[in-house]
Amino acid sequence: MAVQGIWSGTISFSLVAIPVRLVKAIEPGRVSFHLLHSKDYSRLSQRMFCPEEKTMVSQDEIIRGYEIVPNKFILMTDEELESVSPERSRTIEIVEFIDVKEVDPIYYDHPYYLVPSKGGEKAYQLLVEVMRRTNKAGLAKFVLAEREYLVAIKSRDGALEMTTLHYSDEILPDEDISPKKETIAAEEESRITKSIEQMIEDFNAAKYADGRRKKLMDLLETKAKDQAPVEAPAVEEEEGEGPADLVAALEESMRKVKESR
Amino acid sequence: MAGATIWKGNIHFRNMDVPVKLHSAVREERIQFHLLHKPDQVKLRQQMICAYEKKPVPAEEQTKGFEVEDGKYIVIDAEELEQAVPEGNRMIEVHEFVKTEQIDPIFLDRVYYLEPGTTGIQGKEYSVLVRAMQEMDVQGICTWTMRKRSYLGALQASGKVLRLNTLRYADEVIPVESLGLQIVALSEKELKIGSDLINQMTGAFEPRKFENEHQKKLQDMIEKKARGENIAILAPRRLKPTESDQLLQVLEASLKKVA
Repeated sequence: MAVQGIWSGTISFSLVAIPVRLVKAIEPGRVSFHLLHSKDYSRLSQRMFCPEEKTMVSQDEIIRGYEIVPNKFILMTDEELESVSPERSRTIEIVEFIDVKEVDPIYYDHPYYLVPSKGGEKAYQLLVEVMRRTNKAGLAKFVLAEREYLVAIKSRDGALEMTTLHYSDEILPDEDISPKKETIAAEEESRITKSIEQMIEDFNAAKYADGRRKKLMDLLETKAKDQAPVEAPAVEEEEGEGPADLVAALEESMRKVKESR
Repeated sequence: MAGATIWKGNIHFRNMDVPVKLHSAVREERIQFHLLHKPDQVKLRQQMICAYEKKPVPAEEQTKGFEVEDGKYIVIDAEELEQAVPEGNRMIEVHEFVKTEQIDPIFLDRVYYLEPGTTGIQGKEYSVLVRAMQEMDVQGICTWTMRKRSYLGALQASGKVLRLNTLRYADEVIPVESLGLQIVALSEKELKIGSDLINQMTGAFEPRKFENEHQKKLQDMIEKKARGENIAILAPRRLKPTESDQLLQVLEASLKKVA
């Protein structure tokens, strides 16, 4: 399976540099449901849409804008954004390693995988293997589009997992919701400890996923009995965002600029 | 301060019922950009587009389908899916307790603080639960329904408070096998020097050391642009990849550098 990259660059520690691509590690589980148009049962896809012109807008016609006053924008190109922190926009530099166990899980945000690009396979595997042996994670900062991320890079089943972390000032204090100091009677604690002990199991993440899937499959089976499947109309393959498209998009935008003059 | 109360419920297991209030535990503040249409600078919106009509489809014309074979679907509307969701009974039901180290952090999704819902005897049970879970180093695997959605989560004790961390389902995590990684032979010497290097570069986890410096620089650039100043375009730093046959040498040089 070809995995689509979100970003490409290098990951480095000390003098070692490894070319990598960033790919997703999570596929939000909608148990293979697709959004359909209720009129024709055609698939829906999410696209950027210009409400003024009522048209779909392709990637190369989109630009970021910072709204300084309502409806007045400072435009920022990708090149300008990359210029903000040029040392971090294409390089994930591990500045130190930490013990994985020291990370309070409240810091974990979103996991991704890094996969080696051509030529980087060996150094990639070395980093995977030594982090596995030492049970260490690397810390780095890197910039993707307009955001700078603090990330932890870990070894997972032979791959590099990169998890974005919250910055410490994004973690809210919990003092105001903490209970007042209470004296806890030993017998109260031992009663709860006993209840917990009786409920201790080995963690099996698949169990809950299977339960949910089964419930949905039962529902689908019931539906399938009293309803024939609907069929989506045939659709021509959509053109990719290739060079041909780019020329068309450029001509289109030139035309628009002329019209607005 | 923790965020505002989002939801109220009861932690339940055996004959225990501990009332709690849910608060957000993380707040992100970031410079927000809008996506604009280049030619006319109109704010773009995300829309669901029909593949056949190539037109935006309003929410009331959207439905869900399960693909039974290519292009054929069993249609399920929102109400039917709702039936698959258990009744909202304000109960965070703990099904089992597991050792903390058994939960792979990749499953951790969103985290909330739980505030004791009442004072008095029931308020005390909250503190007893925190203490017991901490001493046993366990987390409670639980499910609940909130805002018409069912959640899977891990009840955690930290300091004096309970946290509720929603968990991703196992089938949402893409398995490493699907990445198609190659196995490359490594020598023991490379692994040994690599491990030494990592140990040399190891420090304590001090998240406060890391600030979002980029945010400030981005703000400066926006202000410069607003004043009409020119922005110097800087090429991103790109590192030359380490050649496979030089890996050992580079590792040795690295180790010398950090030692």
